[in-house]
Amino acid sequence: MYTKTIGIEIHVELKTNTKIYSNSINGYGKTANSNVNVVDLGYPGTLPTLNDAVIRTALKAAIILNCDINKRMHFDRKNYFYPDLPKGYQITQAETPIGVNGYVDIDVNGETKRIRIHDIHIEEDTCKSIHYKHHSFLDFNRAGVPLVEIVTEADMHSAEEAMAYVEKLRELFLYADISDCKIEEGSMRCDVNISISKTDELGVRAEIKNIGSISSVGKAINREAARQEELLENGKEVTFATYRYDEKKDETIMMRVKEAGNDYRYFPEPDIPFVELDDEIIKEVTESIPMLASERRKIYVQRGISELNANKIIQNRDISDYLNNFLDTDINLVQASNLLLGDISAYLNKEEKSIFNTKLDTNKFIDVVNKLDKGEINSKVFKDILVDLMEKEDSVDEIISSKGIKIISDPEELKKIVLTILENNQNSVNDYKNGNERAIKFLMGQIMKETKGSANPELVNKLLEEELKK
Amino acid sequence: MSDSLTREEVLHVARLARIKLTEEEIEKYSHQLKTLMDDVDKIKEVKLNSEERVITPTEEVTVCREDVAGEMLDPEEIMINVPNSNGNFVEVPVMIDE
Repeated sequence: MYTKTIGIEIHVELKTNTKIYSNSINGYGKTANSNVNVVDLGYPGTLPTLNDAVIRTALKAAIILNCDINKRMHFDRKNYFYPDLPKGYQITQAETPIGVNGYVDIDVNGETKRIRIHDIHIEEDTCKSIHYKHHSFLDFNRAGVPLVEIVTEADMHSAEEAMAYVEKLRELFLYADISDCKIEEGSMRCDVNISISKTDELGVRAEIKNIGSISSVGKAINREAARQEELLENGKEVTFATYRYDEKKDETIMMRVKEAGNDYRYFPEPDIPFVELDDEIIKEVTESIPMLASERRKIYVQRGISELNANKIIQNRDISDYLNNFLDTDINLVQASNLLLGDISAYLNKEEKSIFNTKLDTNKFIDVVNKLDKGEINSKVFKDILVDLMEKEDSVDEIISSKGIKIISDPEELKKIVLTILENNQNSVNDYKNGNERAIKFLMGQIMKETKGSANPELVNKLLEEELKK
Repeated sequence: MSDSLTREEVLHVARLARIKLTEEEIEKYSHQLKTLMDDVDKIKEVKLNSEERVITPTEEVTVCREDVAGEMLDPEEIMINVPNSNGNFVEVPVMIDE
């Protein structure tokens, strides 16, 4: 039986206004070569100027990953010739990464496992290249975009653990405002190192570069492990090389045999003096860390939201941020989360909007949740007024009356209707009195039908119970 | 000690620099590079006063730039200085070992 041993390197683009060593805009998906200046192109005589926000964001990441911080660090040149790097070297951190010896705890099959982080270091992205048969096109908008690379120890032993780690890191960075972590758009890129062995001695590893989604991380690992096993079982050897994973063919394809590390001729970057991180900046950055996903999940569950729904909320940062506005209010959070995950999310998805770009301000939301909670309106009415709630400045009451919706909350008026329904449905009344409690639901339905859904459901329920007990 | 680098060493450096050498050049550089290496070895003999690594001519620490955007180039300006372009893209020979 072979054991898989897996280490993961993840590159994450940092969410900053400008690039790491130049003041051109850090923006994705703009017109090609429009966010570029002379530093990004490596023109002779240009010098790097380090972006303060990059240091702070990377420091935040290192703190979240429980790393020891290198309080006096420098940058290093990694030399290689390739068209995507016009300077001929990448400015990275090799000797003094900002964070070392950290860890992340992941949950797999109900068990918590600690994945050690070897280091997290800061570096620049290269330009984006698009390949055709006879030439390649270069877009320098990505050149100089700030990255952190997070390198784990080889602590994972299954595809499930690897996927859980990537998902956990994504969630951490997303909620700490470090990166938007869009794997499909390349703002988070995963390289997986995998070897298999029957003994304590590790096998020869393969590196699978730039895997396109979290589920593909799992598939690529299982595919590559199977390929290595077949080689070893047939007396062949695994080649120490770089591979890519072809999702459609479910195949790992060799790209190049790996160069030795010293071929990169690393040396300290002389154009950027030492960077010192004092206790004050570490304190400032630590205090700036927003409430992370695990903390949010815990609070939601404590407040009565199901674990399933808590996870659904976490998956949508905007919804979670919006819901957090109400943690200190006394509205019914379960009701609130049901609305947010249900009709409101459906509307937002359809309109491709963020909840923060709607007219549903916090006062309006509190009002409508309370009305539902007290039974002043029911879910049918909520559906009817939803679009207006999202798109109009008007208050909830104004929207309800403008829709011509009348909520019958007058006990006298409702009592008359209840008595009529009871009289016309003697069989159900007898059923209820003979112990069939479900009969009350049928009677309730009849009243709603009679009032076209405008009766205050809580009041109807109360009146029904009173009358039936007589 | 030999007075030249080996042929393999020269070819290895040439490959890292992505340049092709003629037989004549291999011979020439094997000597020239050796002279350079010897000079570097001499520098290593210099006795330093401090244990601390010096990486820049200054002892100052980095003062970071604020995260505010500045001027950028027009794509047309960029294309003036590149050998080949196609629309807004820089065009280069096909990159095979991607």
